Amino acid sequence: MRPTLVVGNGPFLFLVRSGDRALLGPFPIDPDPRRAAVRFAAFGPVDVPTSLLAAIDAEGAERTVLGAPDAIARALAARLHRPVGAIETEGLRRAMAQLPPLETSVERRFFLALGHVRLEEALRSPEEVLITLAREEERVERSVGREARAVESFVPVPDSPLDLHLDAWARARNALENLEEALRRTLESQAKLVVPNLAAVVGARTAARLVAAAGGVGALARMPSARLQLLGSRRRPSPERGPRFGVLYRADRLAEVPIGRRGAYARSLAALAAIAVRADATTRRDVSAALVARRDRRVDELRRRRR
Amino acid sequence: MRAGRSFRALAGSPRLLESHHGDRHELWTEPVGDPPPVYGERWVEAGGQRLRHFEPGRSKLAAAVIRGWTGDLPAPGERWLYLGAASGTTASHVADLVGPEGRVYAIERSVRPFGRLLQLAERWPNLRPVLGDARVPGEYATLVPPVDGLYADIAQPDQLAIILVNAERLLSGDGARLLIALKTPSMGRGRSAGAHRDAAERALAERMALVPSVALEPFHRGHYMLGGRWGPSSRLPTRRASSATPPRGRRRARSAP
Repeated sequence: MRPTLVVGNGPFLFLVRSGDRALLGPFPIDPDPRRAAVRFAAFGPVDVPTSLLAAIDAEGAERTVLGAPDAIARALAARLHRPVGAIETEGLRRAMAQLPPLETSVERRFFLALGHVRLEEALRSPEEVLITLAREEERVERSVGREARAVESFVPVPDSPLDLHLDAWARARNALENLEEALRRTLESQAKLVVPNLAAVVGARTAARLVAAAGGVGALARMPSARLQLLGSRRRPSPERGPRFGVLYRADRLAEVPIGRRGAYARSLAALAAIAVRADATTRRDVSAALVARRDRRVDELRRRRR
Repeated sequence: MRAGRSFRALAGSPRLLESHHGDRHELWTEPVGDPPPVYGERWVEAGGQRLRHFEPGRSKLAAAVIRGWTGDLPAPGERWLYLGAASGTTASHVADLVGPEGRVYAIERSVRPFGRLLQLAERWPNLRPVLGDARVPGEYATLVPPVDGLYADIAQPDQLAIILVNAERLLSGDGARLLIALKTPSMGRGRSAGAHRDAAERALAERMALVPSVALEPFHRGHYMLGGRWGPSSRLPTRRASSATPPRGRRRARSAP
């Protein structure tokens, strides 16, 4: 399927024409013909009105509006990850205004199909994958904990009808634990990929939870460290005794610090984490060695100076 | 339907109905889609007509109408651009108001809420969801035809600038409507909510004719509904005293049996 013409009509539509056959769809034309075919098939067949084709021919769109077909294909390939509207031109707008309006059913399908494609592309980005994984893992971790506590407080009664269900319960718990472990492994490798510096400083899982709580790496990088420290905490800040940490409670090495000094550690750790995530969001340089060294020095310091 | 409740369409927006039952004042819209409820709202059947409860606690537009909004509302057959649609709570009601012949182009930037908006659009036939950033209207300008109105509910410090860029580019021209749910909690703590609103009104008055704004207390703290018609205007609206300072505890009084 070789793209020969692209044109918009109200909503931007892409037309793929080869000889007499034409397909209309809401997608930029993919340079990979197989993927292009899949996308257009997902949108469903649309009969391109002959009046539309005639209008395009009459407009001489190829020449006056968009240039040669090869140029279109090149421009689209270069902008494949750009929004559809990026190829808007004044001439195209004028050509669009002269075309007959789309049928409602086609127009609606267009928006839904485009929405699904954009959503899927957005969700597929490593950052969004990390956020989704972090949320899933946290939820599953909580249910594993709930089941474990339930086991602890469960009093078995020999030869009771409950016996029937105990096996099934144990299997379900086992499956849940396996799922949690698998999720955690994927999560940790994804975190090391997306925010390597942050993962080194606070631990991969905590890093992922921080990103998820902030809603993205960029959002987290823009936060002051004081806010990062309390991210995910449930208590309210108060003049007497506010929360010391939220998501950071599970950070690496926090458990090694004496209880009374954990707030101080969280504060220092948040400062280092803020630097780490900014490096991850901007330069992507590896600054973890220096930050981890500072973190470890701080742990030693706090363990010496007991209160 | 409970006895004693009667529904009356509001002037200017025939698909928006109100009911009075005792001291309970409620709003309803005529749905363009089918149940289940979009966000847990009540549906009723009245005289062969299906109606959805339009909850002021959930939707700033409903709160504005309850608080005495005098400006234009979306009307049947119109095209509206909705910035910051989130998962579509208010957007579904705006879609109800413009009816099956109208269109609501709903822009949302966040991925997960957009997923829910997309699901809603599958069963709300006049809703057109677009995943895009309202700061960059070029991302969707070719998707959206000129619109009769713009509804904005954007939690960003520069929400006014975002709205003006969109209005300039996508409104059909002078006389087009704007409804702006001004979120002063997102606009910084340097000024009080009222000062934010005054500054916003001064900025907007250069580009449009404003109607008196309403405070959305007690439903939405620190929020105001601003709006009017796009086009030249020379003066600020005169505000009625009642809308500036809402009486305290009205909501509780209203829901008492």
